[in-house]
This record gives sequence, structure tokens and C-alpha cells, in this order.
Amino acid sequence: MSAVRDGPRAVTGDNLMDKVLRVENLSREGILSRITFEMESGEMLAVMGPSGSGKSTLLYHAAGMIRPSEGEIWLEDKKISGMSEDERAKIRLHHMGFVFQQMNMVAGLNILDNILLPAVQANRSRTKKTGKKSKAQLTEKAKTLMQKLSVSGLEERRITQVSGGQLQRACICRSMINSPKILFADEPTGALNRSAAKEVMAQLVSLNREGTAVLTVTHDSRVAACCERILYLLDGSIRGELTLGKLAQGEVTLGEMTDRLIKQREEKVDRWLGQMGW
Amino acid sequence: MKLIINDVRQNKLSSASTVFFMAVSAMMLALTTLLFSGLFGAIDSLMDKASAPDYMQMHAVNQTFARESSVRESETEKISRFAKSRKEVVRWQICGFLNLDNSRVRLGGSSMADSTQDNGLCLQGEGFDYLLDKEGGLPAGSPGEVFVPVCYRSLYHLAEGDIMEIGEERLVIAGFIRDAQMNSMMASSKRFLVHKEDYERIRDAGYKNNIAAEELLIEFLLRDGADSNAFAAAYAAAGLLSDGPAITRPLIRTMNALSEGTMIFVIFLISIVTLLISMLCIRFLCLIQMERERKEVGMLKVLGVGAAEIMRLYIAKYFFFSVLGALAGLSAAFALKEPLEKQVRELYGAAKPELPAGIWAVAAVCLAEGMILISVRQSLKRTEKISALEALFSAQEEKGGKGRYLIIGLVAFACTFLVLVPRNLYSTMSAPEFVRYMGIGEGEIRMDVGRSKEIEQVTERIAQSLLQDRKVEKFTLLVTRNYTAVLPGGERVRLAVESGDHGVFPVKYGEGKLPEGPFEIALSALNAKELGLSLGDSLLLESGGRAAEYTVCGIYSDITNGGKTAKAYGAAKDAPVIWSVLYASLNEAAGKENESAGKKEWMEGYRRMGADVTDIHNYVEDTYRQTLSRLYLASIVSALLAGAVTMVVVSLFIRLLVEEKRCGISLYKALGFTGKDMKKIYFLKGPWQAAPPGL
Repeated sequence: MSAVRDGPRAVTGDNLMDKVLRVENLSREGILSRITFEMESGEMLAVMGPSGSGKSTLLYHAAGMIRPSEGEIWLEDKKISGMSEDERAKIRLHHMGFVFQQMNMVAGLNILDNILLPAVQANRSRTKKTGKKSKAQLTEKAKTLMQKLSVSGLEERRITQVSGGQLQRACICRSMINSPKILFADEPTGALNRSAAKEVMAQLVSLNREGTAVLTVTHDSRVAACCERILYLLDGSIRGELTLGKLAQGEVTLGEMTDRLIKQREEKVDRWLGQMGW
Repeated sequence: MKLIINDVRQNKLSSASTVFFMAVSAMMLALTTLLFSGLFGAIDSLMDKASAPDYMQMHAVNQTFARESSVRESETEKISRFAKSRKEVVRWQICGFLNLDNSRVRLGGSSMADSTQDNGLCLQGEGFDYLLDKEGGLPAGSPGEVFVPVCYRSLYHLAEGDIMEIGEERLVIAGFIRDAQMNSMMASSKRFLVHKEDYERIRDAGYKNNIAAEELLIEFLLRDGADSNAFAAAYAAAGLLSDGPAITRPLIRTMNALSEGTMIFVIFLISIVTLLISMLCIRFLCLIQMERERKEVGMLKVLGVGAAEIMRLYIAKYFFFSVLGALAGLSAAFALKEPLEKQVRELYGAAKPELPAGIWAVAAVCLAEGMILISVRQSLKRTEKISALEALFSAQEEKGGKGRYLIIGLVAFACTFLVLVPRNLYSTMSAPEFVRYMGIGEGEIRMDVGRSKEIEQVTERIAQSLLQDRKVEKFTLLVTRNYTAVLPGGERVRLAVESGDHGVFPVKYGEGKLPEGPFEIALSALNAKELGLSLGDSLLLESGGRAAEYTVCGIYSDITNGGKTAKAYGAAKDAPVIWSVLYASLNEAAGKENESAGKKEWMEGYRRMGADVTDIHNYVEDTYRQTLSRLYLASIVSALLAGAVTMVVVSLFIRLLVEEKRCGISLYKALGFTGKDMKKIYFLKGPWQAAPPGL
């Protein structure tokens, strides 16, 4: 049975290395107010709330895209809130992945090159000793990911020559190419139809199963139903937390997520949101 | 590289335009350096091959000097002693120059009566100051043959085998010569090379029938690095033959460079303006593209690609473009160099095949591209300021609308400048008033009485005749005498001073005013510089054992007498007269005869009295013929360039505007606006915003 708690879980300081992300007293004038939460390694967390509640701003702060005016953000043992823009860029490149509602890709490159882009960039700063890979190795990895996310065969296509679902899955491939510790997803299914959204969520859950933590911001209780834990945000502060628990091994396999199981979790989320007043 | 190639494929128009502007800038700067080094290379090469003298003093031969060999020998001996006493003298020689009466000379059937040049015969230099044929050889000429200055070939449409008539004499044109000293039309004399037999025969006959008079060219070749100005001062101080103008090697080089260099200078100006236009347009293209790629830049930043790395990507693209532009520009410059250098090659021969010209051109191209890349880098710095999220999620603002129209206006302004500057320079130089900047009074007719003739008597006769001539509205007589000037530091130099009323046909004074009262003196800019005098300074003029103090009241520019002249209202009359000049303007009735034969006849009458009579308009035309024709060419090239740049910029601007506003335009159309309505909106909006900066 899932626990419904009234306030955010306190940060204890125990087993710091198990926490992939810690946000402490994060504030931004008029948008966020003293937000504190943490994520375990391999956890899948959703942030929900009405429009204008500060969900996306929270995600961009947590991902180091915006430097907080108050509070701290830690990625494992690295305090990213104190880093310069360039240092944060390096952290994003090597340890984080991103999926957005708008499938942002470079128009001048084909799908494969777009996926390879962060890998090539990260490879530049490596030496042979620190794991520099050959172009063939990088391409091999990209192709494996594409196969896993069912977009193989689209390597040479331009981004205008594939569907929205295919493009979003290609974006997930790109976000995974540097094997990030955590993947940030901002309304990952917002621009997709129902079946494409289902496919994309199945991929995200599958990646999470393999150990990548996922922090997603969503309006969609169906997306939230795939997550382990949900934070409810209102007027810039966390007003509630729902723990759904991990989907059991075997309950979800790639492309075989059953509607029935998700439906049950979705109903639970909707009830909870009703209690929250949404 | 892939990113660059794909980017080029996607933005063909803007990439092609960027390369176009980079190529044009590179071409213009490379062309300037190629032409400059080509010109100076050719001039230096000709001067070296011809062993041009470092110092040359002209001396008019009077009857006594011509007839009595003892006088001649004694003067020659004095020069020889002087030359031996100067360590810097390597060689020296005295050449004859048989000054012809232009009205008695016909070249290929055309009369040279209207020529404003002192045309004369001479022999091939013995030890230096050679006259060279087209192949750079030293033609000696056989009896009955003449070699004509190359600048007359196209002017009189001459070919080998044509005939040159001097009075009754007929000489066959055997070829054309390049004269390092007198090639430029700015040099007032031209030398025709003949065989010794012909020279002596025509000289002897000349004294009898007044068709030719001899002058001496006393020439010195100095050791490398010797100061020719100091040598000139020493020569003047030694009291040797100096009844005529003197010229130094740097002055010869300047004169040669000026007539051709004006066009290159205009091309240089154009290249600077083109570079500025290109920088403006490329910046404009760059900003438009950055605005369009704002989201992609944001996305790259989110993915963790640093600002420096993004900048590197952009710079790599523009560097690639600049390499293409540089190669295209350099090739175009080499292709255009050929036709533009045609006249230089005709006059001065080919430049020494030198590597540095190419290296300079490459350096110029690198400079142009470097400046463009720096300006691109400045524009790209905006990417550093955009935060990842701002770029990704902020709505594309309608930024830079007015700024873009401003750029169009500025480009229009620069293009107008490109068209107007060479045109204005052309009309200024071809206007009659321009002579005032050359040290020549703005009269209608100039009469020179000088050198070999009995100057004072002839001048007096002409002045009397002018006084009684009803066709003459007004005239002035200016007599040039040689004085010894004592400078404030005690140094003594020779100074040719022109005395008379300089207010009748004044020249243009850069500083101060004309000499109107006694003991006032105006100096040519070159003299003022060499003597180290400025307004208000004093100097002593000595003549006949007396000295008088003069104050410098004005400084003017002058190209006559090697740029070294001075003017006074009334200097002592006991110094030797070197030459005299009479300026006259005709009254209106006579002026109307300008087109008719009447004026020519009138001028002919005064020529018969012993003066070189010049129509000032013809003089300007003759002196600047080469320069003006090159300037005309440059003005056409710049007008074409301005037209092409304007067309490219405007069409580019419209294309970009349509592309950028595609969404907005579609929305308007969805609401029921027609294509015509949209065109109206932009056509009405554009000119108002572009006009103010353009105007």
C-alpha cells in the first residue's frame, strides 16, 4: 500500500552516495520557495502541479541550467549550485540527459549525427587513459540505443522525415548516449498522440529499470503512474508527496506495459491529486 | 565539418552571400596591393634598367655658349671638377636636348602644335639615363630614324614606319621608347631618340630657321643611399650651369607614381568602403542566422556544449567561408589585374617577376578576412550571453527590424559614396579651376617664354602686343629669376622666384595669402618643406651684391619646375632671368571663337613671336590625360561594384525578410490578406526606415 504524506521527505544526510540528486532549500523569488527533496540512485520521480506552479523552473534548477539565487543542489557529491556556467555545462554533458516536450534537434544533422552530438563532444575532453572512444565505438553505441528504442533504420533520415514519436525516442537515445546518472524529462509526452506517448513512457521506464534515475515534470497522471514517487507542487512549494513504489520486475517489459496495471496506478494518482485540490 | 556542410546546404543563399562579400573584400584589397606593387615594381624596374640619374639640372644654351667652344669647355671643366670633388658621384654626363617648336612638328600626319609638352630630340645616354625599347634594349637608331616616347603611341595612333616631320626634315618612326624620367605626362618634357647625324643636322638648321633650340641635361648618378637633395643644394651653391629646372630621382619616381597611382588610390578607397560594407552585411547575415538558430544554440547549451565550443562551431563555419572567399577573391584580383595594368605595362614595361607582390596580396586578403572574422566573432559573442533556457523557450522576438533597415540604409550610403567619390575626383581634376592647385593661374591662355630664346626682349614684345590686343580682356606678366637665398640658419641655396602681379590669375594658397606687397614671398609646398620655412619666417634674397629680407606670406601646391617655385610681388630685377610666363584671358567675343579656327590663329600669332602658347584647358587635359583615363575606368568599376553590392544586399534582405516573417505572413494570409496586400505593407514600411540613414 502506498503511503500518502503531507510534507516533503526530510534530507537526513545518511548514505549520501546513494542519493543521485539533492535539492536543499531552493528558492527563487516569486517562483520557488524553500524546496527540499532528494532522489535515490535509479529512482523515477514525477513532479506534478497546475500550470504556473513552478514545475519546469524546479527541473531547470535541478538540472543546473539556472543557478539558484538561494539554496543548494547536489549531484551525488558535487555541489552544482556553486559551479560556473561552464562547469555546469560539463556536468550536464557527462552526467545528465534531457528530453523535452518540443523535440529539439539540430536541423542540419541527420538522426544518427544528432544522437552522436553529445557523445562526440564529451569524447573530445577524454584521453585514451580516461576512456576516449573511437568514432566506430560511439556509432556502435548509438545504433544499439536506436535499436533498443525501436528507431533503428532512421539513422540517415533528416529530423523532418520522421514522426513525432520516432523523434522523441531519438531524443531519448541522444539523452542516453553518454550513460547519464539522471535523465530530466519536461513533459516528455506532451506533444505526442496516445500510442506514441505510451511507447515513449515504456522506453523511459525501461531505461530507469537499467539504473538511470529519471526526474520528470508532467501534467499527465498516466505518465506519473509509471513513476515510483510523485511530488505535488503548488505556488512554488511542495505541498504533497505520493509514493507509488517501483513497478515490479516483469510487470513492465519494453513495449508490453499493460494498460490494466497502469490504469490502477493512474486512478490512485488521480484520487491523490483530488485530495490535493487539483 | 558535417555540421558546416549541412548548414551550407540548408542556408544556400545566406552562405553564398557571405562568401560573396568575403570574396569582394578580399579581391579589392588584393587588387590594390597587386596594382601598387606592380606599379612601383615596374617603375623601379624601368628606373634601374634605364639607370635614371639621381640629379638632373637643365640648362638653356644661349648663342654665346653654342657658338664659342671655349665657353662650353670651361663650363664643362667646372662641372667635371665639381663632380670629382663629390664622393657620392658615381658617373656624370651632359646630354643635349634639342627643344623643338611644336608648331613645326607633325607626328604620323597630326600636328603637335597643340601639345603642351616640351618635345625634343636627344641621343642615347652614354653611361646612364638610357632610353629603352619595348624589350628593354638600348636602341641607338640609324640615320633617318626616330624613336618616339611610348605615351604618344596611342595618343597619335602611331605605328612603326610612320613619319615624323620636323620643319622640312622627315624621320621614320623605328620604334617606341620608355623614358624613366619623362614617361609620365606630368613630366613637362618628352624625349625623341635620333641618330647623332640627324641630331647635329637638325640642331644646326634649327638655329637658322628657329625650329629647334638646344638645352643641356647635366646629369649625375650618385652612390646608393646618397642624399640627392643635399647634392642638389651643393650643385646650386657651386654656381655651375643652372639656367633651367632641376629634378631629383625621388621626384621622378613620385611623378611616375602619381599619374598611375591616383587610380590605385581610388581603388584602395573603394576597397576600404567595400570591406566596411561586407563587414556590415556579414554581421547582418550572422545575426539573422543566430536569431533563426537560437533554439538550436539553446539546445546545444542544455546538452552541455559550452559557449566557447558553440562559438568555435560558428567560427569554424565562417573560417571555412573566409577560405573560400579568400581563394575566389585572390583569383578575381589576379584576373582583374591584367586589364587594369595594361597602361602601366605599356608605359613602364613589366615589373620584375617578384614573389613579394603575391605575398603582399595574400597578406592583404588575410587582413580583409581577419577583420571580417573579428567582426563575426563580436556578433557571435551574443551566443555567450544567451542562457540555455532563454534560447530554448523564449518566444522569438521581432528584434532588429529597424536595425536591419538601418543596415540597408547604411549600405546604400556606402554605395553612393562608391559611385560619387571617383566621379567627383574625376570632375574636380578635369575642371579648369583645378590648375590652381597645380601652381598655375586660372587664365585661359598661358605663354611661356623661356630657356633658349632671348627671354627679356621676346617677353617685352609679347607684353606690348597683348596690351594693344583687343581680344585680350586682361593679362599678367610673371618673370622668374634665379636668386641666392640665405635661410635663417645661414644656409645658402638657389631659389627661382617668379615676380609680378599674382593677384590677376591667382593660384590656390593652401596656407596664407598671395604676395601683394614688397618683401612678401610665397613658397611652393615642396620648397617650404625642403627649406624648412613656414608662414611668417624670413629669408634673404641676394642679387647683384645686395640682399633684401622677405617674409613668407603664403604656401601653395605646385607641380611646375619640379614642384620648387616661389612667388614675390616685385623682387630685385638684377638677377638672371630664367623664364617668363604670361597669362591672359580673352574677352567674350574672342572666347566665342574658342571652337573656331580664330583662336588657333591668334595663338599661332604669338607662337611666331617666340612663346610657347598653351590653352590651359588643353594643358590640364594633357597633363592628366593618363590619370583621368584611369580615374574614369576606376569610377566605372566602382559604380558597377556599388550596383552589384546594392542588388545583392536588397535581394538578400527581401529574401531573408520573407523567410523570417513566413509565419506572420501565413497568418495574415489565413485572415484573408492577399499576396499583393502583403507586398504593399513591406514596400511602404521598408523605404521609410531605410531612407534616413541612407540619406
